[in-house]
Amino acid sequence: MPQSRRRNRWTWLDLVLLMGMLGFLSFIAYRVNTVLIYQWDWAFLPGYLFRWEEETGRLLPNLLIKGLLTTLRLAVWSIVLAAVIGFLMGMMRTSKRLFPRAFSRLYVELIRNVPPIVFIFVFYFFISSQIIPWLGLDTLDQHLNPTSRALVEWLFGPASLLSNTFSGIFCLALFEGAYMTEIVRSGIQSIPRGQSEAGMSLGLSRWQQMRYVILPQALQRVIPPLASQFIILIKDSSIVSLISIQELTFLSLEVANSTQRVFEVWVFVAGLYFILCYSCALIFQRLERRLNSSARTLT
Amino acid sequence: MKPAKILLPLFLSLLLMLPAWGVIFAGEAQQQLSSESVIETIKKRGKLMVGMSTFVPWAMRNKQGELIGFEIDVAKKVAEDMGVEIEFVPTQWSGIIPALIAGKFDVIIGGMSVTPQRNLTINFTAPYAHSGMGIAASKKLAGDYAWPEGFNRSDVIFVCRRGVTPCTDEVAKRWPKAKIRQFDDDTMAFQEVVNGNAHATLSSHPKPVSWTYRYPDALYMPTTENLSRGDEAFGIRKGDPDAMNFFSNWIMVNTSNGWLEKRHHYWFKTMDWADQVDQK
Repeated sequence: MPQSRRRNRWTWLDLVLLMGMLGFLSFIAYRVNTVLIYQWDWAFLPGYLFRWEEETGRLLPNLLIKGLLTTLRLAVWSIVLAAVIGFLMGMMRTSKRLFPRAFSRLYVELIRNVPPIVFIFVFYFFISSQIIPWLGLDTLDQHLNPTSRALVEWLFGPASLLSNTFSGIFCLALFEGAYMTEIVRSGIQSIPRGQSEAGMSLGLSRWQQMRYVILPQALQRVIPPLASQFIILIKDSSIVSLISIQELTFLSLEVANSTQRVFEVWVFVAGLYFILCYSCALIFQRLERRLNSSARTLT
Repeated sequence: MKPAKILLPLFLSLLLMLPAWGVIFAGEAQQQLSSESVIETIKKRGKLMVGMSTFVPWAMRNKQGELIGFEIDVAKKVAEDMGVEIEFVPTQWSGIIPALIAGKFDVIIGGMSVTPQRNLTINFTAPYAHSGMGIAASKKLAGDYAWPEGFNRSDVIFVCRRGVTPCTDEVAKRWPKAKIRQFDDDTMAFQEVVNGNAHATLSSHPKPVSWTYRYPDALYMPTTENLSRGDEAFGIRKGDPDAMNFFSNWIMVNTSNGWLEKRHHYWFKTMDWADQVDQK
């Protein structure tokens, strides 16, 4: 379906609304100083982004940038893991067999109906304390040779914090995977039954129907809700600061408490999260457009 | 009845018991932890893992992002005397006791004051510090209140850092009519009083002094006396007499030779360290 491009033309109403909004915002900003007794001082911030190492004369990342990198790694790996969980469980949700259906239903309902903080605490103290030693992640940093260490550190951050980072990744992925399961399920079920029947009449197996007929169409439909779920995941990654995962929110609280400059740190970190989430949104917008145009050329 | 109809509830109820299995296994892990003294684990690992939380001037980040502070000095010296490396595990204050029990680190050296309630869950060594608690009050809201009985009103709000029992207990004891609100961090608690949203906050020295110094127009100290004396000790898991003996005697030795007193003086009675953290 060709979409006509909407024209962006300004009318006087837009102008009035924009001015009104700007005026309101600056009024709020002006009022902040009357309700908030606070000496603003931003001078300390750059020092907590990067630090100058005297001995080597190099610029190294300091706490806030380290936290940002951890949040990025946390986000990337949990998005990958959550997407895998989401697609597996989503397909199981639509299975004809009882066991996969019951299993995935249970997974979704258990996680979706429990507050995130409670889930994170229970998972961290009861379950991840067992998974991490079982996978050998707590002692991994002692078995690494220099090259594998460099690789692992590039992928997952400092080796000494590996078990900490992995707890965060598992926790987030399991949590967000439940929502992705539902998104994938709705995508699969939105494809008309005729499609799989057509596949069946061509002699495709059930798996082949899924692989070649259903999933390609479902994927295109679930991209927008999946993208917004990914963005929610990035923001939600701040919750794992409660179980002391050394990510952006946790480290910024450390900086805020050490320097006692709470508001500067918070405002700055909010900006960082915005940049992170907005660039994620832009990437998905592009992907969506690409998928749409390639789908159009096919038909 | 078709087998599927029985299977489903059976399967669901089994899976619903999963958390219970988690608890059972967690209990086992805890027993394993205590079957061997943590001192042996530390020596084998070659590393002492210390749970702590940022709290000026006990532990904080300097400009290089490294941890400094009174208890950081203490923990480093413990590790040095044991001949092992040290690793700090920064932990949210509200979750620090569960994290110790779950074995995320060996010992809490986090300026934790001994209370009977906490002692039911974990063990404490001999105290290595005695903090005094002070009060900072809002000039705008409580500037003309008589000390201390003027604060015992139902419209008075005290703010405490969550989980700091000396604060909440002291307020409940001295000013039973006042309300208590809790924040996760001390900095937020003080900011709330500075903003005039709460009447006063209780915190261990030197924070009340340094905040009053920074905001002389908004804060004042109704009294410079210590409201209470806290006994801060290392926290360890229950059922480990070796660790108890080692840490307590380490504290005894370093109290006798004056080392603890000297470090305490440096961090709590001077501000020589202030330029390391960019504090004003």
